[in-house]
Order: sequence, then C-alpha cells, then structure tokens
Amino acid sequence: MIDIFPPFVIYIIAALIVPFIPAGRLRSTFMLVIPVVGAWMIWNTPTGLSAVVPFFGFDLTLMRVDKLATIFALVFSLAAFLANLYAWHLRDTMQQVAALLYAGSAIGAVFVGDLISLFFFWEGTAIASVFLIWARRTEGAFWTGMRYLIIQIGSGVILIAGVALYYASTGSIGFEAMTLPMTSPITWSALELGIWMIFLSFGIKCAFPLLHNWLQDAYPAATVTGTVVLSAFTTKLAVYALARGFAGTEILIYIGAIMTLFPIFYAVIENDLRRVLAYSLNNQLGFMVVGIGIGTELALNGTAAHAFAHILYKALLFMSVGAVLFRTGTAKGSELGGLYKTMPLTMIFCCVGAASISAFPLFSGFVTKSLIVSAASKEHYYIIWGILLFASAGVFHHSGIKIPYFAFFAHDSGKRPKEAPTHMLLAMGITAFLCIAVGVFPAPLYELLPYEVNYENYTTTHVITQLQLLMGSALAFTVLTVYKIYPPELKSVNLDFDWTYRRFLPAVLRYITFLVSATFGIVTGAINASAARMVHRLHHSHGPDGSRAASWPSGAMVLSIAALLGLALFVIFFS
Amino acid sequence: MAKKHKETPEDYPALGRWLMFLDDPKVIKRIVYGIYAICAALFVMDFFYHKKAYVEIENYMGFYMIYGFIMCAALVICAKVMRVFLMRAETYYSPKDTESEMHPDHDLSKESVND
Repeated sequence: MIDIFPPFVIYIIAALIVPFIPAGRLRSTFMLVIPVVGAWMIWNTPTGLSAVVPFFGFDLTLMRVDKLATIFALVFSLAAFLANLYAWHLRDTMQQVAALLYAGSAIGAVFVGDLISLFFFWEGTAIASVFLIWARRTEGAFWTGMRYLIIQIGSGVILIAGVALYYASTGSIGFEAMTLPMTSPITWSALELGIWMIFLSFGIKCAFPLLHNWLQDAYPAATVTGTVVLSAFTTKLAVYALARGFAGTEILIYIGAIMTLFPIFYAVIENDLRRVLAYSLNNQLGFMVVGIGIGTELALNGTAAHAFAHILYKALLFMSVGAVLFRTGTAKGSELGGLYKTMPLTMIFCCVGAASISAFPLFSGFVTKSLIVSAASKEHYYIIWGILLFASAGVFHHSGIKIPYFAFFAHDSGKRPKEAPTHMLLAMGITAFLCIAVGVFPAPLYELLPYEVNYENYTTTHVITQLQLLMGSALAFTVLTVYKIYPPELKSVNLDFDWTYRRFLPAVLRYITFLVSATFGIVTGAINASAARMVHRLHHSHGPDGSRAASWPSGAMVLSIAALLGLALFVIFFS
Repeated sequence: MAKKHKETPEDYPALGRWLMFLDDPKVIKRIVYGIYAICAALFVMDFFYHKKAYVEIENYMGFYMIYGFIMCAALVICAKVMRVFLMRAETYYSPKDTESEMHPDHDLSKESVND
C-alpha cells in the first residue's frame, strides 16, 4: 500500500489544473507554488521509505527514498521553481503544462525503484519536453523537435527492450546496481545484452560522445524560457540513472573524459551563445560521468554535488543569455556586444554563472568539481586527471570568458536593449545568490550528499593552483585577443556528428534509391525494348506487308487451301 | 507612445552609466596589464607555500598556470583549424533547422532604452 504520496503526483495534478486557471498572475503564482509544495514534500519524506503499487502482475516501486534520490529531486524542484519564476511573463498554456509535466516526470523518475516505472517517467520527460521546442512555433523548431523526439523516444524504446531481456533472465525489475559485461558482444547472453541496452539508453540521454547531438540541436531551438527548463532535467536524470545503475563502471571514466574534452573545441567556434552553453553543458556532464566511473564515495559525492551546482549555474547562464535574446531577438555572438551599458545586472548575473561554471574559488563549481578531480588523482587516473584539468581551463575559456565577453563587451553592436524584466532579474538574482552561497558555505550541500564528506576545499594549495589554472586560461584568451588570433564570431553552422544523420546518411539513402531505381529502369527498359523489337520484327516479317506475306500471294493461298480440303476429303473417304 | 529620440547615456541604467569607463581604451589596456600582473603574482606565489601534490608533475613551479595557458592556446588554435573543415553557411540545414531563422516575436519582448 502507498503510505507516502509521491511528489510527482502534485505536478501532474497541477498540469491538469493549469489550463483552467486564466493565464496571468494567478496562474504564474500557481506555477511557483507547485515546486515549493513538491520540495516541501520531498524534504519531509524520511529516507528508507518505499511505496509499491501492483501493475499487471508487477510490483512497481514508485517511491524509494534515499539520499541520492533526494538530492536530485530537491535540485529538480529548485530548478522548476527558478525556471517558473523566470517564465512569470509567459501566457502560453502549452509551455506551462509541458514544464510541469516535465519536472514531475524527472522527479518521479529519481524516486522509482524499478525499471518499468523508470521507463514511464523516462518517456514522460521526452514527450513533455519536446513541447518546449515546438512552442517556438516555426518550421525549423518543428523539425528540430521531431529529431529530438525520435532520439529521446528511441532511448526509451531501447530501455524497455533492455528491461525485458533483463527481466526474462533475472526475474527482477528492480532498479539496482548492474555490472556492465566487458566481454565480446558475440558471447553476450540475453542478460548481458539487456544490461548493455539499458546502459545505451542512459548514454543517449546523458549525451555520450557521438550520441550527444540532440542536445546541441534542440536546446538552442527552444523558447527563451523553454531552454532554461530543458537545461535542468533530462541530462541530469540520466546522470542520476547512471549513478544508480552503473557506479564504478570503469568505461564511464573514459567516456566521461572524452565528453569533457571534445565539446570545448566546438564551443570555441560556435556562434549561437545558447549552443555554446549546450556544448559546455555536455562538457560538464563529462565530469559527472567520470565521477560515476571512478565510483568511490568521494567521486559519487562529487557527481551528486556537481549535478546540484551545475543545474543552478547552467540555468543562470541560460537565463542571462535568454534575457539578452528576449530583449534583442538574437543570441548570436556575431550580432551582440556592448550590452553591459544597458543590461548591467544581467551582465553581472551572467558573470556569476560564468565564474561558477569555471570553478572560481568562492563560487559553486569550485566546491563540487574539485571532489571529482581529486578523486581522479587519488585513484591514480593521472591522464584522466590531466584531461579534467584541461577541460576545466577550457570551460573557463569558452563559457567563463566567451559568453559574457561576446554578449556584453567585445565590439559594440549598437544595440541598446532595456534591462531584463524584473521577474527575470529576480530569478537570476536568486540563482546567482545560490551559486555564491554554495561556493562560500558548501557544508549544507555536503550534508545532502549520499556519503559523508571528509574534504577540505579551501586549502592554500587548492585555491592557488585553481587560480593559476584559470588565470593561465585567461592569459591565453587575453594574448590571443590582443594579437587578434582569437577566432571572431562568425555567422555559421559547424558540422558535428549529426551531419551523419542529417546529411550523409540521407544522401547515401538517396544515392542507393537512385541506384536501385536506375537499375530497375534499365533492366525493365531493356526487357520492354527487346519485346517491342521482337513484335516489331515479327510484324515486319509476318505482317500483312511483311516479306513473308509478300512471297505468299493470295492465289497460292487459295490453291493450298483447296489442296488441304482435297486431302481432307480423301482421308474421310477412305477412313 | 513616446517619441523615439537618439539614445544617450542618460537613458542607460545608473549602473550601466557608471560602468562606461570600460569603454575607455586606456582602461582596457590597464585591465590587460592587470591580468599580466595577476598571472605573474600567482606564478611567483608558488615559491611561498608548500604545495600538497598528489601527482608528480604538480610539483613543477607554475605547472597549473603553464598548463592552463598552453592547453587553452592550443585549444583555440585547434578550433580555428577545425573551422576550415567544419564551417558552413548558416543556411546549411535550412529550412529544417532554427539556425537561419529569426527568433519569433511572440516569444520576445524587444525593447530598447529609448522606447
């Protein structure tokens, strides 16, 4: 029996009520109250509790409360509150319902204790979130949404297929730690294949390398407020799922390291600042994935803490760039610049987000990312440690400096937009405050982590080395900019792996279609032509004007018929 | 509707007006020298405290700064080279992409200070 009320239910009920509240302040207030109520419920749910409901012969565990689930659920609630505050002006029922269902699905997913319930919420996040992209209501957004939906639903389908194999082999649907088999695929049993499929479906949502393009494709295509909502849930749900199912899986260390690395190159040359943020989101996920792969208590604490801090500073960055887009109509570096004069508060909040993602001391990233980087060096993954350092320096370069620099400084674009509206400033202000609060007083966050934290952040070595790393990165930016080596922002599209399925594979498919239809055309054409030629030839030789017809005059025909009749008469007479 | 006039710094928020010193090339030069000075100071600081290192390479003087500088410079140069191969026109994927679209007005509230 259910003895606790799952918090996601609140969101679903709210989503059903929202359309009946007239769009306006009342509805916007309602949208703010729901995450607060949800968070209050989560806060007051004691750990260790569980709620099970029967479903077609399965026992679905809708609530499995432990610290790992609680910290993700709390930060999801916080993100929902901040995003709804940021979207106070919104009068779009579709987006508001989608945002509530999306947040509810994500919160539902982190509490489930079985893989079937996980699948429902997994698809719930996919279906609800696509409306935040479609809400842009343009042709481009429609197609982008379709691509996003295909990939997200695909992830869910792979998940449920994996779960079916897993259940068939083990008889269990429990969502517990799994061991990823590292043997050759040829030797896999059904169970091993099932586990790999579950892993792959998590990997798609977590934007693993080569499975990542949906993220950079979809997030910049959403509405101003939609992107802020999108940035919080899907990928962090995947991080949670990996932490729950595959903690300590070594391959994740290498996957994560690649994830921290390659998006930063794209981020440097990308023009759309919301896409730059999507690339850096991918890079930050890499740190969390490395933490999961290392799998020690320190590393898993690091992953949970970093997810918490990341949701806040990433939301803050998307909010500030969103505010610029909201006021100017563009988020492209090539068309922005000099906005600090008229949007100074947005600029300051953006800088707080930038400092937090860059892990400057006294900002949130510093006290969370360091747990993961330290875990890497303590477990003797020195190359990984070096990659993480590079990625840390790189993230300061493209998110920490590039975003504020090209939006608010650089060359003056002549744009003089008004400061962001009050509710946006308030949302950014609260988020910025939280980013600094976590950085200065990490203890309350550490209290929420799954394991006890014995880690001293603010040591002389740590502060100075981190400042050195970041200032080295800043120096590179300064020198390259002063000497005009730094690549200017250009209106462009940069080809990424999605080129394979947006251009290359369709082109291959078109080529194959052409080849098959051409071959078919040639073969059938040849058969038809030869048949036609034969008919023509027969007609030519045996037709009324044919040579054969000409050599048999009608007199000869009459004679031969007379001979034939005579023969017949002769035969009949004597038989 | 108020009559539009050419915007002047009086239209800016007070904080923005105050920050306008950042436009001065002299100030920019000072900021650049400031960054050099901070870097030099941080580099030198390595001589004055005991570094608790887990990895051998950390013990080299100024390792973090040199690493940050070199790797970031390399990052930018690599990215620049990548552009040669990967950059396409904004309309490359259009119309099935939002890159070349205008952001629709229903989602915006475009206002400038002189409105």
